[in-house]
Amino acid sequence: MRRSYAYQTPWTGYWFISPALLTMLALIAYPLFFGIYISGFDTNLINKWKLVGFKYYIQALSDPDFFYKIGLTFKFAFLVVIGNMVVGTLLGILLNMKIRFRLFFRAVLILPWLFPEVVVALLWKWMYNPLYGLFNYILEGLHIINNPIAWLDNPDFAMFGVVIACIWKGYPLVMILILAGLQSISGDLYEAAKIDGSNTWQLFRHITLPGLKPVLLVTVILETVWWFKHFTILWLMTAGGPVNATSVISIEIYKIAFSDFRFGRASAIAVLVFIICFAISYLYRRFMADDAK
Amino acid sequence: MKKVLKRLTALALITTVLITGCSTTETSAPAASKGTQPAQSPEIAPKESGNEQITLKIISPTIVEKPEGEVEQKFANDFMAKNPNIKIEFIGVPMNEVYAKIITMATGGDMPDIFVNSPEFYAKAYEMGLTEDLNPLLGPDYVKGFHPATLKEAIFEDELQFAPFFTIPLGLLYRKDWLDKEGIKPPVTWDEFIDAAKKLTHTGDDGKKDRWGFAMVGSKNGSGGSRFIPIMRTFGAAELVQNGKEEWTTQFSTPEAIQAFQLYGDLVNKYDVVPPGPLQTSYAEAVSLMASEKTAMMVTGPHSIGAILKQNPALEGKLAGAPLPHAIGKNSASTLGMLGFSISAKSKYKKEAAEYLKFILEKQNQLEWNKVTGRFPTRLDAGSDSQIKSPALEGFLQAMDFAFQIPNVPYYANVQVAAAEGYQAVIAKQGSAEDAAKKAAAIVETEIKNNK
Repeated sequence: MRRSYAYQTPWTGYWFISPALLTMLALIAYPLFFGIYISGFDTNLINKWKLVGFKYYIQALSDPDFFYKIGLTFKFAFLVVIGNMVVGTLLGILLNMKIRFRLFFRAVLILPWLFPEVVVALLWKWMYNPLYGLFNYILEGLHIINNPIAWLDNPDFAMFGVVIACIWKGYPLVMILILAGLQSISGDLYEAAKIDGSNTWQLFRHITLPGLKPVLLVTVILETVWWFKHFTILWLMTAGGPVNATSVISIEIYKIAFSDFRFGRASAIAVLVFIICFAISYLYRRFMADDAK
Repeated sequence: MKKVLKRLTALALITTVLITGCSTTETSAPAASKGTQPAQSPEIAPKESGNEQITLKIISPTIVEKPEGEVEQKFANDFMAKNPNIKIEFIGVPMNEVYAKIITMATGGDMPDIFVNSPEFYAKAYEMGLTEDLNPLLGPDYVKGFHPATLKEAIFEDELQFAPFFTIPLGLLYRKDWLDKEGIKPPVTWDEFIDAAKKLTHTGDDGKKDRWGFAMVGSKNGSGGSRFIPIMRTFGAAELVQNGKEEWTTQFSTPEAIQAFQLYGDLVNKYDVVPPGPLQTSYAEAVSLMASEKTAMMVTGPHSIGAILKQNPALEGKLAGAPLPHAIGKNSASTLGMLGFSISAKSKYKKEAAEYLKFILEKQNQLEWNKVTGRFPTRLDAGSDSQIKSPALEGFLQAMDFAFQIPNVPYYANVQVAAAEGYQAVIAKQGSAEDAAKKAAAIVETEIKNNK
């Protein structure tokens, strides 16, 4: 007997998602599980496969240097995310207003996001250059400083220098997401609030922010995970230096894998970073979803 | 429906895990030392090229440098003209990243036919089973034509790991015209070096420094570490030495090593003879400082002469070299700075690759390489030519007499980085020279322990 149409329909959906599912399995699941697999070996991936079990996990978790670098990574991610959220949200709100040349500003303000990270890193490294850089040129020209400042040589400033470059690169994404979120907030709410005598801050506090909460949650999760595992700009600008002032965990993983060629240990640390990112995402959803309820 | 979805997802994940576990079959056997058997791949029979069109892939760091890249490409073009059935394809990677690239290609099963190798890397490459013994490929008579000092650093476990292509003995490169103008001779001791650097550091009419005595390579990588370690040796401390039991130990925490770290800190913070930003100054930036006439001296090899003249041809005849200064009562030190080319153990065209290596090592090519780049030949016939004994290169030739053999340990790159971290800490005033030396010693001792 021919099956009813209603019974056949659910399988069609699975067929439609199967190409994407297979791609995800190949590009996400396979590398993830391969990384977990090799983390149990002392291996150079060529002719050395010595089973060590959880040795590298125990080594990492009992190494104070690992926790120092995780702390540094949290500091870096926190500063960049806060910066991106503040700058991106403010600009998103501004661009949502009816201002002159709004389209032009939207196009220009999104440009940093379009630059490859390598280009951004080299541009900012050049601007920070003590002899030929733009910042020292301006500051010396205005007689604010007498001698050039080696910005990225200073361990206390180097982290902030890199954070500024990352904020410049990362804020447009937040801006776009916030802009999209703002479109979904009904104008009637603002009108009603204005009639009730609300000022600008009250409108922002009681209408804009609550309306943006779902978008903010997604943005914060994405931003935190992305910048927690960020590598390119840090590596090109400072290579983890000076001394170890910007030696975040992604740089440590890269060095262990591609300078020491100890892929097992590098994978073990990468798995720990994955667990941390997963935990961050879970906590964000848990706390902000609770607030939403 | 949810159950079906869960089952399908679980099935997909299990399949992925199985594929992952099985995907390492090519090399999933326990470690096999090179002395017994190379990597567990099937033996690849060398092919006779005949008239077959073949492509030789070569990974080289010098192909991306100027003026080296132009000369190396010319050699390849000349070889291809003589061998129409062979095409040379370069994979250019900067020196600081080339070994990571080689390993990545090896793990991906995509090794080139010829790849760059050096005393710092050959132990690791051998351990991974990447290199072919060049003795039978080049022939024992041909091998005898290399300078003995270069062969000493190219042979490991009685196998010729790579064909030495050039050496760049480390010394002090300086502006001869500026030193002559100030009436200074090339410094022999570090005290003389400090005096010279101070005299060569100038302040302009606007009260700002427009010239510094020394372009320090203070970056935290092989460029910086490979320069600091010979300097440390001129104080009498070695990064790695073998004791009577042939066990490796380090002298990083000795008073002599502390003096070396202190020198680096003083040059920047006390004597102010280094341009601002030394911790971000790698080799390329230091060369640019010399080319733009911002600095008078640099610790480097003769190859920098070619790179500087490429940027500023007006400096022709104004550069010269000398052995590294040394502490009083000690000797100078140098490294050969040798690079060569290995043939991949998995290459299908080993014979053709060997022919290419022999071609670039011919006397006229070695002399042309030296003329344009300043890098010294490794073949005895080219090395005895009068071209090598030019005034600009004479000091570097003298430096070769003080060359020490790079310890053949697979973790040598980490030792260089440990040194770099130490001097960065002193320069950035994050710690004293004693603290930096102790930390570097601890890092190296851990490496020695992990590699026993």
